[in-house]
Amino acid sequence: MRVPLKIWRYDPVAGQKKLVEYEVDAPEWVTLLDVLDLIKDKVDGTLAYRKSCRMMICGSCGMRMDGAAVLACKTRMYDIVQSGHVPVISAMGNLPVVKDLVVDMEPFWGKIRAVQPWLDSGYSDPGAKEHVVSQEQMDVIHKESLCIMCGCCVSECNSMEADPDFLGPAALAKGMRFVGDARDKADVERLQSYSEEHGIWDCTRCYFCQERCPKGVDPRDAIAKLGAQAMEKGIDSDMGAKHAKWFVTSAKTTGWLRETELVPKTQGVVSAITEVGFAMQLFKRGKVPPPVPPHVAENVGEARALYDLVKQQGRDGAAGIVQVEHALSRVEFEHEQEGQEPYGEGSFPRPQPLPGEAEEIVE
Amino acid sequence: MEAKHDVLVVGAGCAGMRAAIEAFDAGADVAMISKIHPVRSHSGAAEGGINAALGNASEDDPEKHAFDTVKGSDYLGDQDAIEILCQEAPDDVYQLEHWGAVFSRTADGRIAQRPFGAAGEPRTAYAADITGHVLIHVLYEQVMKRDIKTYEEFFAWKLVIDEDRCQGVISWDLLDGGLKSIGAKTVILATGGAGRLYTGTTNAYACTGDGMTMALRAGVALKDMEMMQFHPTTLAPTGVLITEGCRGEGAYLLNAQSERFLIRYAPNAMELASRDVISRAEQTEIDEGRGIDGNVMLDLRHLGAERILERLHGTRELSMTFAGVDPIFEPIPVRPGAHYHMGGVDTDVWGRTSLEGLYAAGEVACVSVHGANRLGGNALMETITYGKRAGAHAADWALSNTTITVRPSVEQDAERELKELLDRTDGERPWQIRDELAETMHVNFGVFRREEQMLAQGDLVQKLRERYERVVVDDKGDVFNTDLTQALELGFLLELAECMIVSGLARKESRGAHARPYDYPDRDDESYLKHTVVTWEDEAPRLDWKPVTMTKWEPEERKY
Repeated sequence: MRVPLKIWRYDPVAGQKKLVEYEVDAPEWVTLLDVLDLIKDKVDGTLAYRKSCRMMICGSCGMRMDGAAVLACKTRMYDIVQSGHVPVISAMGNLPVVKDLVVDMEPFWGKIRAVQPWLDSGYSDPGAKEHVVSQEQMDVIHKESLCIMCGCCVSECNSMEADPDFLGPAALAKGMRFVGDARDKADVERLQSYSEEHGIWDCTRCYFCQERCPKGVDPRDAIAKLGAQAMEKGIDSDMGAKHAKWFVTSAKTTGWLRETELVPKTQGVVSAITEVGFAMQLFKRGKVPPPVPPHVAENVGEARALYDLVKQQGRDGAAGIVQVEHALSRVEFEHEQEGQEPYGEGSFPRPQPLPGEAEEIVE
Repeated sequence: MEAKHDVLVVGAGCAGMRAAIEAFDAGADVAMISKIHPVRSHSGAAEGGINAALGNASEDDPEKHAFDTVKGSDYLGDQDAIEILCQEAPDDVYQLEHWGAVFSRTADGRIAQRPFGAAGEPRTAYAADITGHVLIHVLYEQVMKRDIKTYEEFFAWKLVIDEDRCQGVISWDLLDGGLKSIGAKTVILATGGAGRLYTGTTNAYACTGDGMTMALRAGVALKDMEMMQFHPTTLAPTGVLITEGCRGEGAYLLNAQSERFLIRYAPNAMELASRDVISRAEQTEIDEGRGIDGNVMLDLRHLGAERILERLHGTRELSMTFAGVDPIFEPIPVRPGAHYHMGGVDTDVWGRTSLEGLYAAGEVACVSVHGANRLGGNALMETITYGKRAGAHAADWALSNTTITVRPSVEQDAERELKELLDRTDGERPWQIRDELAETMHVNFGVFRREEQMLAQGDLVQKLRERYERVVVDDKGDVFNTDLTQALELGFLLELAECMIVSGLARKESRGAHARPYDYPDRDDESYLKHTVVTWEDEAPRLDWKPVTMTKWEPEERKY
């Protein structure tokens, strides 16, 4: 098939950017990475991009297709070509471009290093053999340990675009990989450090990282888990933490959000006073209910019961974060919805029993 | 000279990082140099696991592990090296766990172990089916903790030899351009394999045998180069790896007649026979018309969704992405693909080569632990144990020896050679040679080997080498010039192909991965229980032999 493609080239010597269109012949099975290889081989050897494993594990080939981060090796081209769409390929966002599709990853790695990404087992001595840890305990960090450090999440991070010092989704997910590890004894220190400015609470919860992660790490969930763990440990002096805490308190007490108190509870009374004029304007236009008497929801009992249940089940830390499940191990059984089953119709071949073996393999 | 170090590790996969950590902890000034970022290294693509006789799933001991490995090697493995590996393996795995490796767990919270091909016990410790990924990240965490200097995206091209000692590396700086030489008292090669010699390969684009050829050009011998392992379960068309862990968990291999055909090749071990045996069985089925579009089928369906999702989720992801098949519902089409080079730089059990100051560890090396056929799960273990040993010895040696010389003339020679390549404007692009080499190696030096095909391939490679002398690099720039480095990589591969063919022709028997069913179908211990050894003289390979070290196991007939 003919594959057309536009690539944002960047020439670092001239400092020039330009959009160049290419078209190559390719077999139907090709990925975006294969197409880039064909261009580099046959059209223009100066095209620069990173690659290595071509099987979604090394994390080299993060780049943008039509403005959204992808792994080039994971992106099959057939459907795109069939649709007639000509995709635009560019370098990842939030990182300085070195040349064409190659970005400088050093800012990325600097943030990874900033979360002290190595196991700190404190004074606990596992002895001569391994730590004894249950599979359930390891499962807590299953998704975070899938991370291949490709940078796709960082590329898409809106908070980082506003604040280049924000630790960002990859580093925080790496942080959760240790906070959630039963063998790590530095979780309090970690949570304190990650709760500082540019940390957990600077995430705007836009979920772009979660959406674009090619490995199902769910970095935004990891950040939420860190937040929940931090609050559970009483590390809640950051405004973000206070804000979240007030949400819980107001839901528990009234079943509603008590907006009037939200600002003083989050920013503190002194700072809130400066917002009084703004609050009065809102009040005049009926945007804020009067603070007294508190506006209590009719079925507030349900909100309170829910709160008690979470406490009772011990799910007020990371274990309670089940917002989105993109993890690979939980991918929907798409086929099942169509009624497909193992050994169903058209499923070939069906294993024959071995000689002397009863017909028991199937089913 | 850019900088000087006690120990310079070339390549930063599992072997390289493990070596660097060991050397650092021994007090040496250590640096790593790698053409890709350490976590991009191909060790990360290892899936199934790492073998150590931990005894968590059954009664096991290092001696059983050693015997399985000796037998698996078709008796070509050096038994002293194998015994060391199997003895040190358990503690080395515990070390990885203490560093934080996220291993899968048994019901009682120990490291889980699964059965693997040709292993008498369930000995393969694993992290679902992303064991290499987990290990490479845990090692990199330890590298970051120690703040070990890494020359990232520096392409190592030549070894610096002075006074018959290896004293550093000349490299191309990918980000900024230019040749940079880095002096070192000892250099440890840990550059991995050369699977890119083949079209269908599990190996990454980075696996171009750089370290093997650098050593060869420095006068160091390569051993057992004919021994290229074909992995039985790779995806068409490019050879993406589907782990042996699938069969460890109980998957079947079926032919077009729905038959578990291994009953005719390995009736006892069936799908858990050794890789050479299964690859030959598959190729025979395919060649005799019992394949399906050039594949056989790997059937996981009976394992059930839960087990697949828990332990083989990476496999499912790969099958769905590259084969369009969800293994919960359909079998995966697979075929043999080039996977692992048992051969490599000839070293002793401390990773030392014949050149003073030069070490090698991991796939680039041939200690030899794997002989003529490697067991699944032994490669990761070798990277760790022998990476550690090379790091320890190199540090020890470096700390007791003091001088480093990199003569300006050496740097100037390299500059001149590179300039000649970059200045050439008229000629062939390297990719044609690269593709021709890989396609023909697959046909003429694949699972089965014929004398006339090997001879023809030898002639062809000679011609390709002549054409290579005139290749043209499009990119003349300094910044991220992979057009240049890919051309240099092709140069590495071409010389290795010659070494493999010369070794393959000389071994007139069938042993492990070297199968000659048409002229020498049997193993011939009388004549060939010895290693092939190739050195480079006058622009051509020179073949020699070296005895196999035997400790306690006499060769026996190998059946599974």
